[in-house]
Amino acid sequence: MKSKYEKIAEFVKKHVKADDYSLRIAARSSHETRFAQNAITQHIAGDNVDIDLEVAFGNKTGRCSINQTDNEALTQLIKRAEEMAAINEPDPEYVESAGAAAYPELANASPATLALAPKQMVEIIRQSIANGEKLGATVSGMTEKHFMQIHASTKNGFSGYHELSEFGHSMTLKKEHIETKVSFSSKDFGTFKLEEEIAQLNGQFQSLSDPQPFTAGKVPVIIRPDALMEFYWFMLWMMNRRQSDEGLTAFTDQIGKKFMGEKFSLLSTLKDKELVTAPFSWDNVVSEETYWVRDGVVETMPTPRYWAKLKNLKPAAPFNVFIPGGKATEEEMMKLVPRGLIVNRFWYIRPVDMKTGELTGMTRDGVLYFEDGKVKHAVNNLRFNEIPHDTTRRLLALGESVLTDSSVKLPAVLVDNFNFVDTTSF
Amino acid sequence: MKYLDIAMEAAKSLGADYADIRIQRSTTETIYLHNLSLKNTSTDILDGYGVRVFKDGAWGFAHSNVFTDDQVAATVKRALEIARLSAKAKKGKGLVLAEERSYIASYRTPVKCDPFSLPLKEKVDLMLEVNRMMMSFEGIRQAVFYLLSHKDEKLFASTLGTRLDVITQFIDPMITATAVWEGDSQSRTFDEGGRAVGWEWVTELGLLDKAKQIAEEALIKVKADTLKEEARRTLILDPNHLGLTMHESVGHATELDRVLGWEADYAGISFATPEKLGNYKYGSDLVNFVGDNTLCEGLATAGFDDDGVPNQRWFIIRDGVLNEYGSTRDTAPQIGLRYSRGCNRATSYLNQPINRIPNLYLLPGEKELTPAQLIGDTDDGVYIQGRGSFSIDQHRVNFQFGGDFFWEVKNGKLSRPLKKVLYKSCNPEFWGSCDAICDERFWKPFGVVNCGKGQPNQTGRMTHGAAPARFRNIRVGGSQ
Repeated sequence: MKSKYEKIAEFVKKHVKADDYSLRIAARSSHETRFAQNAITQHIAGDNVDIDLEVAFGNKTGRCSINQTDNEALTQLIKRAEEMAAINEPDPEYVESAGAAAYPELANASPATLALAPKQMVEIIRQSIANGEKLGATVSGMTEKHFMQIHASTKNGFSGYHELSEFGHSMTLKKEHIETKVSFSSKDFGTFKLEEEIAQLNGQFQSLSDPQPFTAGKVPVIIRPDALMEFYWFMLWMMNRRQSDEGLTAFTDQIGKKFMGEKFSLLSTLKDKELVTAPFSWDNVVSEETYWVRDGVVETMPTPRYWAKLKNLKPAAPFNVFIPGGKATEEEMMKLVPRGLIVNRFWYIRPVDMKTGELTGMTRDGVLYFEDGKVKHAVNNLRFNEIPHDTTRRLLALGESVLTDSSVKLPAVLVDNFNFVDTTSF
Repeated sequence: MKYLDIAMEAAKSLGADYADIRIQRSTTETIYLHNLSLKNTSTDILDGYGVRVFKDGAWGFAHSNVFTDDQVAATVKRALEIARLSAKAKKGKGLVLAEERSYIASYRTPVKCDPFSLPLKEKVDLMLEVNRMMMSFEGIRQAVFYLLSHKDEKLFASTLGTRLDVITQFIDPMITATAVWEGDSQSRTFDEGGRAVGWEWVTELGLLDKAKQIAEEALIKVKADTLKEEARRTLILDPNHLGLTMHESVGHATELDRVLGWEADYAGISFATPEKLGNYKYGSDLVNFVGDNTLCEGLATAGFDDDGVPNQRWFIIRDGVLNEYGSTRDTAPQIGLRYSRGCNRATSYLNQPINRIPNLYLLPGEKELTPAQLIGDTDDGVYIQGRGSFSIDQHRVNFQFGGDFFWEVKNGKLSRPLKKVLYKSCNPEFWGSCDAICDERFWKPFGVVNCGKGQPNQTGRMTHGAAPARFRNIRVGGSQ
């Protein structure tokens, strides 16, 4: 299949008349099965390809993408992009395409995932439903597998190719007021163990059986890994070097400073074999081991190629997310504070204020109250208004880092004085 | 087109209980201008077909971008095989489809000046001029103009005998000015959320004047006071802001698939369950919400939905009481309805259609009332313009909203600008607290073109609308 994309690249190289170009081909083969209320409701399969071409005459650019691969379609692709560039206004911030560069060879595609048959996926769902029915509950979720191939090439000599696979299975169990969820996402179906997922789901389900009212306020909270991923993802999104240099975010003038708590580090890593690691970014920046934050010090931030050139910086793009954890178990964390909450997941997180980095969101899929080192009971859901980088200064303990998404690995954490501002009615 | 016939004949010969094919070309033109730099000028074309097969009470959906006779037939076969697999995990006898007849029809969005045939230079020239206007204000650090034009060309055929030829499109210009002052930065945006019209609408908007206004207001906003302590206050909300509020707290809550729990794993469910139909007081007597996919220039208006069901107009909330849902052919029978309301829509050819919010709007007040009279009649409150932060729980009950621009109202006058205002409320408290709605002269439509829902995620579009309205006794305060 790789040769098919090389042929497209050759065709583009031969026929582009523009001064510069960047070509990106992303092919995707997917099988996605949704189930809800103990039955399959949607079931989707198909292949697609996205061929994206950006061209430039001087600093006048045009871009076009198509999903057809024949020569006639490719000719139209080039024509459209070039026509657009020819009549466009100059872009003062245009940066020429990336040149030849070596990139790391990474194993992102798993044979076990590629071999997974639709029948097996349906069987996983049938077993998930059977578990829900045994509990007198309904189960909803999605089972999916994907295989992607990425090719990139430029006029200036960059050429890259990589493949990746992904398997995912999620289950939301609901019975009367109890709702809880587990999800698995990895490049390797071979590491998936349905019985472990079901055991975790059932454990969460049992723990939520007797909810008591809880009033919002500042309280220590154990944020489980799935919840932490959702919460800190927004912080990484706000860590943009250009926007920060322009005074638009909380990270303005913080490079090299201990802006976050010393227990906190954040990096994109090539070293963890479980993580999907794109060897180069959409803008053909080669992935390198990068500490964004080390022991609380902001070392760098994602930096677009134009800003890097203007400010004489190194371009950088996050290619996966890794937060190094500690050794604390949940039981040990509970003993570090007199009382607190355990959050399974957050939901509907949105920025409230870009400059301060404040977010709002709610808990979902189970909140537990603990006291004197032990879980006492479940409580109602809560809304928070919090600043994620500020919470890194209030980290009391970190658990072991675990995979929460194929490209994200992070721990459960204990945060002091987490700012819950409202209760929800369930 | 011959592929419609090939697909339908293949589906019938293979024994499908029902099947349809949707051949769809989606074209998107994006122009993104940031501080006079054209960051992205692109045309994206997605071309292919999706085949749905219904067999033994279950769905199979397969898609392809390869247009050959053999591939179309193979895609139908694949969809049938998948439907048979789906039937291994069904409840009882499985799904049933609401009754529907066949149609042979076409629909075109009424466009006077197609942005896709307009020279790029004309669009970029206007955008640069608007951008320069915003950048000419000292203190404006970031000026953005994002212009999105989108067109869907669809051919649809079903085994009922329906044949549809539908072309819909919309355009959405959005401008934002960001001011930086004494360690703070605040943005102000002009964005009506898109409309199913052509470039003629963009030229009528007076964007140069809007650019001047939002740059000035961004500078006012960054220097404005905050509210600090949360307290029960009166809110006056403009139609643009209400568009988002109704989208989240009424639109999604009354999608029948959510009500049935079909979105429980991700987008969430709904508190507005079927036993509440006809008796649940969702809002005050003034509150009337209409689902209307026949709305002229509406983003969800397409003649027919992706089930081949014609567009309709119906009350979702009438005199404050929950009346009906937005439904599809596979959700409607689940609560005993004979017909679908025609809300099944897919984003592109490779998406299986899902139950979507229709064009949904709040009817204007019946008594004459101007926005000036509404403010003049308010002793103490906050007037919110535009959309800001928004967050709602997965049952669509409890929510928190921000806004884009805020005024304190004192003794019937706009007394001082504010920033970082948030309000918290819930259903049915919020709509129940509505005590005044301006009349039809002040009703305005506002679109949503990026409504995320489903697994895999799809982006839907629909139009909302309202006249300025007042809400009493809502918790309003400032962010940290």
